Amino acid sequence: MVTSEVYKKEFDVIIIGGGATGAGTARDCALRGLSVLLVERFDYSTGATGRNHGLMHSGARYAVTDGESASECISENMTLRRIARHCVEETDGLFITLPEDDLQYQQTFVESCQRSGIRADIISPDEARHIEPAVNPDLIGAVRVPDASIDPFRLTIANLLDARLHGAETLNYHEVEGLIINQDRVQGVKLINKTNGEHVEVRGRVIVNAAGIWGQRIVQMAGAKISMFPARGALLIFGHRVNQMVINRCRKPANADILVPDDTVCVIGTTSDRIPIETVDDMRVTREEVDVLLKEGIKLAPSLATTRVIRAYAGVRPLVASDDDPSGRSISRGIVCLDHAKRDGIEGFITITGGKMMTYRLMAEIATNAVCAKLGNNVECVTALQPLPGSEEDAPSQSDTTKRYSFGQRAAIGRHGSLAARIEKDNDIDNALVCECEGVTVGEIKYAVHQLHVHNLVNLRRRTRLGMGTCQGKLCSCRAASLLGELNHDVKRAQDDLADFLDERWKGMRPVAWGDTLREAQLTAAIYQGLCGLDSVVNRQGKEDVQ
Amino acid sequence: MRTDTIIMGGGLSGLACGIALAKRGQRVTIVASGQSTLLFNGGSMELLGNIDGQVITSPLDAISTLPHDHPYSKIGTSRISSLASEAQGLLADAGISMEGTATTNHWRITPMGVAKPAWLTLSENIRIDELDKLPAKRVALMCIRGFFDQPNGMLAHGLRQLGFDVQMVEFTTDDITALRRSPSEMRAASIAKHLMSNNALQRVADQINKLAADADMVLLPSVLGLTDESHFKALQDMVHKPLRLIATLSPAVAGSRMQSALRHYFQMLGGNYLMGDTVVGGNLEGDKLLTVTTAKLGDMPLRANNFVLATGSFVSRGLMANYERVYEPIFDLDVDADGDREQWTRFGIMDPQAYSRYGVATDSGLHCLKHGKPIGNLYAIGSVLSGHDAIKMGDGTGVSLLTALAVAQDILSGNK
Repeated sequence: MVTSEVYKKEFDVIIIGGGATGAGTARDCALRGLSVLLVERFDYSTGATGRNHGLMHSGARYAVTDGESASECISENMTLRRIARHCVEETDGLFITLPEDDLQYQQTFVESCQRSGIRADIISPDEARHIEPAVNPDLIGAVRVPDASIDPFRLTIANLLDARLHGAETLNYHEVEGLIINQDRVQGVKLINKTNGEHVEVRGRVIVNAAGIWGQRIVQMAGAKISMFPARGALLIFGHRVNQMVINRCRKPANADILVPDDTVCVIGTTSDRIPIETVDDMRVTREEVDVLLKEGIKLAPSLATTRVIRAYAGVRPLVASDDDPSGRSISRGIVCLDHAKRDGIEGFITITGGKMMTYRLMAEIATNAVCAKLGNNVECVTALQPLPGSEEDAPSQSDTTKRYSFGQRAAIGRHGSLAARIEKDNDIDNALVCECEGVTVGEIKYAVHQLHVHNLVNLRRRTRLGMGTCQGKLCSCRAASLLGELNHDVKRAQDDLADFLDERWKGMRPVAWGDTLREAQLTAAIYQGLCGLDSVVNRQGKEDVQ
Repeated sequence: MRTDTIIMGGGLSGLACGIALAKRGQRVTIVASGQSTLLFNGGSMELLGNIDGQVITSPLDAISTLPHDHPYSKIGTSRISSLASEAQGLLADAGISMEGTATTNHWRITPMGVAKPAWLTLSENIRIDELDKLPAKRVALMCIRGFFDQPNGMLAHGLRQLGFDVQMVEFTTDDITALRRSPSEMRAASIAKHLMSNNALQRVADQINKLAADADMVLLPSVLGLTDESHFKALQDMVHKPLRLIATLSPAVAGSRMQSALRHYFQMLGGNYLMGDTVVGGNLEGDKLLTVTTAKLGDMPLRANNFVLATGSFVSRGLMANYERVYEPIFDLDVDADGDREQWTRFGIMDPQAYSRYGVATDSGLHCLKHGKPIGNLYAIGSVLSGHDAIKMGDGTGVSLLTALAVAQDILSGNK
């Protein structure tokens, strides 16, 4: 449906927020036969969804302190292995005890895991060193748990794809400016289309607020109040994959105690700081955060000390004050679903928040149940059973050695699962590599532009990993910008887009700009400014960061 | 074997200095890691292109206004003009024929179709002397099918902004198509290697003659001439219209060719080029460097009267940074750099970056300093020098060439 048609339609449900939770809710609602619109102010997965470890928790981390979250995690963990296997890498994880930690804690930890239904096997330090050579060799204890690595960008897109396959409409770069309220009922959203500045109103019978930390503002638009506690976490990406398993510290959760292997890289994090709600859009990583992450990360895997840091980033988790605590100080750790009719007397409005990327599907199920109750829909939830597009039973496997795949095809299967079959690869141009670090071909870029709502290079990166490898887009971004320019028939935009993309890459490199990362930055400047003169045709003065 | 001068770094400045010394009979050894930023050069040298964002048209005049810590100021502005002609001659002697003058900048055309001020440009590359007098009106921009290192759309857009009437012509030949079977083979250098055969060139010429018949000038991406300009000349003879090359994204063919031409010339003059080795340390005594040690020769220190540091900036590892400091990795020489990591960079990618101006500290004779004291027989040249921003000033290749030749003169005249 063209966008102007979408504006005219009245939907059963309008979902605000294009993170994992919003996307999962759109899918669930669509599978239950509702007409769905999802709106997102930037690109999909720009908020907390795209700004975490990419860790598929076993729940072990929460076992000691929060049994309920731990149980939710392990249940969702097992579900995602089935329904989203093209987004998941089954790495398993270790919880290690270092000489400075209390080995007594290990026993408490294992018992708590067992209570929550999480397999937790104590293994010897020798065995730990054997199965994960990168681990700190000084460890005195280790427990093996079913942690895994998950690609949240791919997961979100797979949910959106399935929602669309079932009739949902999705609009990125559409920000909610207000709600349409009639007496005590929310009847729609007032939007600005950020690509052209147009203001529109779209009507819906139920509005779901899945806007993460930004959901506090949406609740205010409805005339109600919610207290959120933004918890900021910073992370570092290392230039290659040091570890094959997730490595955690076996102690009470603290700063920088999880190291996750993600595709070709690995990620250490996080710090954890409460920040004022006004600062949630400032994602700059500070020097202090970098120092803490490095200092602690090296304790998990000493080789990180000599591994290049390619990028730093931060995200904000939406923690919510418990409604039953009038002081507003007590925080609800788990999933929070608010029916504002019961809570505030506002009909047609639901907020789904709290929780974790990991439990997005359960959150979506809970929110969709609430929507269905309002609309009198009795269809059962099937999202835990039905595989996401790309993860069907007969999906090709990246590791299938009986098939002869090129590097690019193999990488694409890893990213898109069975949907990789839709990527054109019959002629040599479509097979040509654009991004050599991540194996992205011309065909995959065309597929992303035509099927995955790609407007710019940053979108393209999130869909394909283009520019996410060690060179951080040094050579591929120009090739890709040029291709996008051809596909969109707009060269000037392609140049601006290229500058935006390089700037976005730079923002993540700057906090860790030393060693080889500084070298890459200088080389990128030499190519795009020195050789090409991009800086003299693009004016970035006063420009907002691209998201 | 007696060595007069050892040069650390085999890029543009190291080679230029080595050639100037070898020409005058010195025995010179260059220790070269094998990576040179010249490989990212599209075929132009720049003396001075911009000051504070203002385009410079007369570089010689502008050089006299530079601050005292700029390498040109240290050489002495009175020497610049003669050093510039010497550099142009040296390049020509090495077989690199370039056009341009130090008194007036011309414009080179970048792979994105931007006109940037330049001092010298390869004769076969397109060049604009004055923006209101284009060398041709109707140009055929030849686009090789499946070659992504020329952003055709942006290039055509840029050329049109400059006033050219651009016809984009996509073409390929059977043998170029065959190259594409391997997904990563469509790079400028692999095409250039392929186009070293006359038959392959003739097939390209046939396409150009067929498809670009209406143009006043034919522009071809710079995918010719890995070794010399003969393939360009051969193709020009086959093509009925004036032909010019246009720089591609890196690694660029023109840069590789300039690098290998300089190296061959240096070796022809009797220079000793230790390829794939790096200097890792040295024996300093008082204000004198006695020997240096290389990674490969290990326990065999190399002795010389004079030493030249031409190891480049961060890109070439002539400067390094860890999360605590910026340093010079071989001798831990004094550097001009901010101590606080947060000062090294600026927020926006297009902003002038402080680290671009970092380099080793030198006295007015380009002698390196350690603990504030000059080392009498150790000079620094090229991008390892502090006090200039090659990206924003467009002076990188000029500083490399001119500091190299100035130091060579000083060494020959017996340590100023």
